[in-house]
Amino acid sequence: MIINALNGLVYGSLLFVLASGLVLVYGLRRVVNFAHGAFYMLGAYIGYSVAIHAGFLPGIVAAAAALIAVGVALDLVVFRKLADRDPLVTVLVTFGVMLILEDFVRTVWGTRNYAIDPPALLSGVVQIAGAPFPIYRLFIVLASAVMAGGMVIWLRYSRSGLWVRAASHSPVVAAMCGVRTNVLGPLVVGLGAAFAGVAGIVAAPFLSLNPSMGAEILVMSFVVSVIGGLGSFGGAFISAMILGQIQAFGVVYLPEIAALFPFLLMALVLVVRPQGILGNKV
Amino acid sequence: MANQTLAHSFRESPILRPSGLIVLAILTATVVILTATGSRITLSLLAQAAIISILALSVGFLARTADLISFGHAAPFGLGAYGTALLFQHGIPAEVGIWLVLVAVFALFFVIGLVVGKLNGIAFSMLTLALGQFFYVAISKLRAITSGADGLTVSLPRSLFGLPGRTYQTPDGMFIIASVILAALVILIYLFEASRTGRLAIGVRENEERVLFLGYRTKILKAAVFATSATIAGVSGVLFALYQGFVSPEIVHWSFSGNALIMVILGGSLAVWGPVAGALVFFFLREWLSDLTEHWLAVLGVILIAVTVAWPGGITGVAKVLRARISGRERNGGGK
Repeated sequence: MIINALNGLVYGSLLFVLASGLVLVYGLRRVVNFAHGAFYMLGAYIGYSVAIHAGFLPGIVAAAAALIAVGVALDLVVFRKLADRDPLVTVLVTFGVMLILEDFVRTVWGTRNYAIDPPALLSGVVQIAGAPFPIYRLFIVLASAVMAGGMVIWLRYSRSGLWVRAASHSPVVAAMCGVRTNVLGPLVVGLGAAFAGVAGIVAAPFLSLNPSMGAEILVMSFVVSVIGGLGSFGGAFISAMILGQIQAFGVVYLPEIAALFPFLLMALVLVVRPQGILGNKV
Repeated sequence: MANQTLAHSFRESPILRPSGLIVLAILTATVVILTATGSRITLSLLAQAAIISILALSVGFLARTADLISFGHAAPFGLGAYGTALLFQHGIPAEVGIWLVLVAVFALFFVIGLVVGKLNGIAFSMLTLALGQFFYVAISKLRAITSGADGLTVSLPRSLFGLPGRTYQTPDGMFIIASVILAALVILIYLFEASRTGRLAIGVRENEERVLFLGYRTKILKAAVFATSATIAGVSGVLFALYQGFVSPEIVHWSFSGNALIMVILGGSLAVWGPVAGALVFFFLREWLSDLTEHWLAVLGVILIAVTVAWPGGITGVAKVLRARISGRERNGGGK
């Protein structure tokens, strides 16, 4: 029971880190990045390649650095250039970026599955309520909490966080007050991409690496966003946690149809509350 | 992205003009000549392109009429295909059964349309992606009905709708059948757009609140447009199942929906026929490129970005510019 709940927490916190990357970018740019899943996949593969040669921590750093670069480039080349076009145009462009990145991963790493062991320090198990539980999974929860918590503290208590919130609320007014919104774009999109990339490598020892991992996680993080309400961190947190538990208990008790539950929950939320749990009215 | 279509006059449908009949005649002649002279490989490519262009037509119809971009039309397509396969598996008379499948697709997506009707733009696109994936997971998991990843074989009866069963599985036979249905659907969409309901739908797209204030039930109209588009995708699925003789969960995967969407963007939605042109280009480009390079996905991504950013009207945009140039020149000549 407790072990199931913990597994749900692990999966839920991964989903939350991914969804919060989406929410952060949506807040500022009013655009949903369809390449977010591909960023997660790219982070996992780059992290994997560095980790098997140089160790796990350099792997995480490499994934973060690479994805920051990709995110900054995406903002400068795509989001800023298309800022005054229909948001759907930008969405379609990120869809194209996703196809290119998938092809890139297939070309460089092939289509086979990869698995990676957790670092020696974090391997092994602890006894929780009389049952063994891998330490690494607790690390995933901790890492997710540090990332998400760090971002919330940054947004709430720092000066640059205040600017991001102001620019998300109203870019024009923020700019008139002297906020350099041009600098915030690459910062926020780079950070969002880095979240996806780091989630990818952190999840790698827990899930395995394959070329369809990006598309799968993209769908799940969309389900999280739709349930929680587009652009709401709180909503994303609640729905990621619920989905994590549904996943963990579903796999144990109703393995045949567990994969359908997230979608059924999404349908239910849409009927009862179309704007999502904490979303603004659409 | 369909905003440009406002410039169009919906009052007179091009099909009803003499030029529409001429285009129709030329297209009929093209189909006949291709069937008579094309090689087997070309014809099988054309048959596939004709079937999938009906799917693209459905995605384009939704983009054009409601300004909604669907990432999940593989779902009604797959339901049409699986519905057809199951008919034959269980020996249900297909002449009636296929209509029932299409009615069921319409009813299901009408209800879904009522639920998702409030969503627009990006939220709608995200939702259709998740919804499409729901059907993919459901079809993969419900092995008792769909036999999961193994797929279902479709064994055609001796005769179907007055044609021998195997006609549906030969490239030339299916190319003609799919072309006729495609042409019929394109004409129907033109007629719909010229009709009162069609113009009302465009009104809802441009300003739903105003149409609501005029006393119309926009919610039902929007759901009906969504369901109609899904049913057209269902027709494409039915033909796919008949032609391929086999259905598997891949046809419900969202990458399949993504391909249909790319065809719409390639073709553009300035004209009803845009997605059809996009589908043809997509199939022949893929055939041609698969000989040259393995990086089809990346090429597709680059084309998608280039067309969306630099050339939003797609093929229909080019056609419009060309037509404007030609008619402009004629007018200048006539003026002197």
